[in-house]
Amino acid sequence: MSKILLIEDDEIMPKIVARILPATEYQLDHVSNGKEALLKLEATNFDYDLIITDIMMPYANGFEILSKVKNQSRPIPVIIVSNAGNEDMIMEGFKLGADDFLKKPILPAELLIRVKRLLMKNT
Amino acid sequence: MALLQLSAFPSTIESIFRNAPLAIQIAMVFIVVAITGTALAYYSILRSRYRGYRRDKKLSVLLPEIDNLIIDEVLTNPDMQQDIPADQVPLNLEPFQRLPLDRPWARQALTDRIIHFRRNVRGNMGNLLRNLYIQLELDKDTMKKMKSRRWEKKVQALVELTSLNMSIADVTILPLTNSRNRELRAAARHAYIKLSKNEPFKFFDVVTDPLLMWDQVELFRIITTTEGIAIPNFARWITYSGNKSVVSFCLKLVVHYNQLAAVPAIIKLLDTRDHYLRADAINCLGKLKVAEAEDQLVRIYTSQPLHCQIEILKAIGRISSGRNIDFLKTEFLHSTDFDLRKSAAKSLVKNEWFAKQVIDELLATSSPENLRILKHCMNPLIKY
Amino acid sequence: MTGIAETLARIYEGAIFVYGLVLLLTYAMLAILSIIAVRQYVKRSSYHQLNLLAGSPLAPGITVLAPAFNEGLTIISNVRSLLTLNYPRYEIIIINDGSTDNTMEQLVDEFKLVEVDFAFTVKIRSQPIRRVFKSTDPAYSSLLVIDKVNGKSKADAVNAGINIATFDYFLCTDVDCILHKDTLLELIKPVMQEPKKRVIAIGATLRIANSCEFDEGVMTRMRPPRQLLPRFQEVEYIRAFVLGKMGWSYLNCVPNVSGGLGLFDKEIAIRCGGYDHSSFGEDMELMTRMCRYAYDNRIDYAIRYIPKTLCWTEAPTSLKIFRRQRTRWARGLAQLTFAHFGMFFNPRYGKMGLVIFPYNFFFELLAPIIEFTGIIVYIVLSIMGYINWPYALLLLLFVYTYSVMITTIAILWDQITFRYYKSWREVLYLCMTPFMEFLLYHPLIVFFSLQGYYYFLTGKKSTWGNMQRQGFGKKKS
Repeated sequence: MSKILLIEDDEIMPKIVARILPATEYQLDHVSNGKEALLKLEATNFDYDLIITDIMMPYANGFEILSKVKNQSRPIPVIIVSNAGNEDMIMEGFKLGADDFLKKPILPAELLIRVKRLLMKNT
Repeated sequence: MALLQLSAFPSTIESIFRNAPLAIQIAMVFIVVAITGTALAYYSILRSRYRGYRRDKKLSVLLPEIDNLIIDEVLTNPDMQQDIPADQVPLNLEPFQRLPLDRPWARQALTDRIIHFRRNVRGNMGNLLRNLYIQLELDKDTMKKMKSRRWEKKVQALVELTSLNMSIADVTILPLTNSRNRELRAAARHAYIKLSKNEPFKFFDVVTDPLLMWDQVELFRIITTTEGIAIPNFARWITYSGNKSVVSFCLKLVVHYNQLAAVPAIIKLLDTRDHYLRADAINCLGKLKVAEAEDQLVRIYTSQPLHCQIEILKAIGRISSGRNIDFLKTEFLHSTDFDLRKSAAKSLVKNEWFAKQVIDELLATSSPENLRILKHCMNPLIKY
Repeated sequence: MTGIAETLARIYEGAIFVYGLVLLLTYAMLAILSIIAVRQYVKRSSYHQLNLLAGSPLAPGITVLAPAFNEGLTIISNVRSLLTLNYPRYEIIIINDGSTDNTMEQLVDEFKLVEVDFAFTVKIRSQPIRRVFKSTDPAYSSLLVIDKVNGKSKADAVNAGINIATFDYFLCTDVDCILHKDTLLELIKPVMQEPKKRVIAIGATLRIANSCEFDEGVMTRMRPPRQLLPRFQEVEYIRAFVLGKMGWSYLNCVPNVSGGLGLFDKEIAIRCGGYDHSSFGEDMELMTRMCRYAYDNRIDYAIRYIPKTLCWTEAPTSLKIFRRQRTRWARGLAQLTFAHFGMFFNPRYGKMGLVIFPYNFFFELLAPIIEFTGIIVYIVLSIMGYINWPYALLLLLFVYTYSVMITTIAILWDQITFRYYKSWREVLYLCMTPFMEFLLYHPLIVFFSLQGYYYFLTGKKSTWGNMQRQGFGKKKS
């Protein structure tokens, strides 16, 4: 059972992701902004196997979360899922240590494969 | 007594009005107008708030229902897991009959929600969402809007059709691409590119009015996200189009698709008399890293206006072939314009692989101001 | 003798009548034009999706300029909220204008700032920039902080920021203003959708933040101000922006883009020399010069407004600070009119010279003076027993009901763009305010304006009171 944190302010995306990642294999927590995400991460002592995050969100953007996560002693793999088409922005994400980037609208199979791959790499 | 006064009241007012000078008469009329106006405004505020409240309340019940149905019937459809093409997946429409689909507002809400889902997910799941839209006959509503006399309805319909990738007959859409209403015209063109089975890029040939920046954003998104669209060689328009905005937009597409086949056309464009377009062409050559164009850029450099010169310096930095280090160094040391020096320094830093020695030398010998520029450009924390 | 006096009285009466009539008709016209403009906006925004631009590589870059002077209370949460604006390509420049509190230290600590060698040229003169800071944390790579010598004005601070700005457009705001997350997307849209003209400035509605709830720089609950003075200002802002500016925007005659929030074309702002630090109304002053520059150089320009509220600002709650603000505005207006009087009815300056300037002159600058003299004449006449009281009261009632109607209409238009506030009760509560405005608030404005003109004439040195802030921290919610 892998624990995944989804940070996303769109109301529909979490519902979709929850279907793509079967509940039997993944425990999915969802928060809808940067502040909740940081609170959640601190409350659970960064106990997640994977984070899926958007970039543009209220309170704290995806970059800030990335930076916090990647500065932990045990960096959690991060997938950015965003509709950003701006190359600079994507590069910025990778510079901060993002492990993968998916552009919205996503292909369900693609998300599943990448999640699996990242989880495999880290176990 | 009171009754008497009350009945006398209108007649008193009437007599005051009759005997008053014009200014007072106008004032009296306007007092009545103002009071009625205020009352009407109050009524409208209350009504619009009430309607909005009702709508929100209805939607707050309906939307979760829609979401659940879509999730149950489309997203977790057992056939989806087995990668069966969407066209062969039978949808169970019966549960959707629970929704008040006899009401236009509910149908609209469902259409919007399907589009919202499709903004987040594509592929087979996206196609199945589209099938749902068709099988629930929501497309009929959209087509009805297309026939509306109000242009904003037509625009709305076109946006829906494009978002759902519904094909429309050319005869329906082509007349709209020449509409006198700018917004409608733009929406029709976007739809045509996305949905036309015949030459989607045909309108690049005929469009005469400038493509606005916003249109370019929409077009760019449509062209780069439509699956199965045949990307032509944009050199065709870069060479032949008389519409500057089309040329400049094509340059952006060339960069996006890294279309090296268009390079000769872009190099030819350097001779254009429009220096904004020339700057765009130089920018494009830099982003494509066309090393063959470098010498020509350096050759034309002195005769260019400032913003083209800056673009040339930037392009040399992007190409970073290391062949023009001396040119960059000269510009950095001797140019009188600050922006040119800064661009030259930036490009030198981008050529670091070849220019290490030159940069070290400059760091040791430059004037304080130039040193500052160099340090600025070398600092990884500074983006621009 | 009595003949002359009578003729004079007649002329005075006639002039006042015409003046009043034109003013009332102008308001009626603005009410009609603004609803057309508001509806146009609502229609367009129903299908021009913002997220399209948010995800586009073609979005033009924007620099956000936010000067800060002793804002230690709120600086961190406000910078954080700027960092989460929805926009794909922007930089934030915080200008620390020689704060004497710990504003700078807080910024350095919170965002892990280090001093960098930053090369720039001075295109507009300002007080020297001492240091430039960037963050070592790549998450804040769009943030840049400059520490400059206090220039005793917002104008000077923004000018310093313009020199450093990278992009072609800059957004001018205040560190203490709370921005809507879509501010940049909304404001750049009119630039991108304009077919022919060059859009040199764009503004949006400002509102009063006093009773709203904020959480770390994000607005969580909108509410009309509970205190009377700020509530008057909220009503006044709605009228000025939604009815006034939107109406003028329809005619491309916007006189001013407010200093609290505005997006500007950097090239033109630099060419006409940036903000004037000696001006008391630097936002309007710059706007006037930008228009003038555009006319002088035959640039077919446009200034646009958006009816949506994108910015919340703290309004003065004490009469003392309110007075300081308004005398300053009045003084700025007087200064501006005096400095650019050459444009007055000058056909060379098109709409600016024939519409905006005369309107400002007659109905903004002269209005308080005319009202004040009107009252004096009334008092004199009533002492001498020349007043026909029923008529006088009728006229007064007319002006009163008309002003209430215009303000209520403005609130209605505002409600059309978006259902602001939580309940209809709050809207009604706000709607009650115009009934008192005429008797309580308006006289204050007239009086403070006159005081401002007096300062302008006598050249009184103004003290640079920064508004005392309470801070939009969590404690309020």
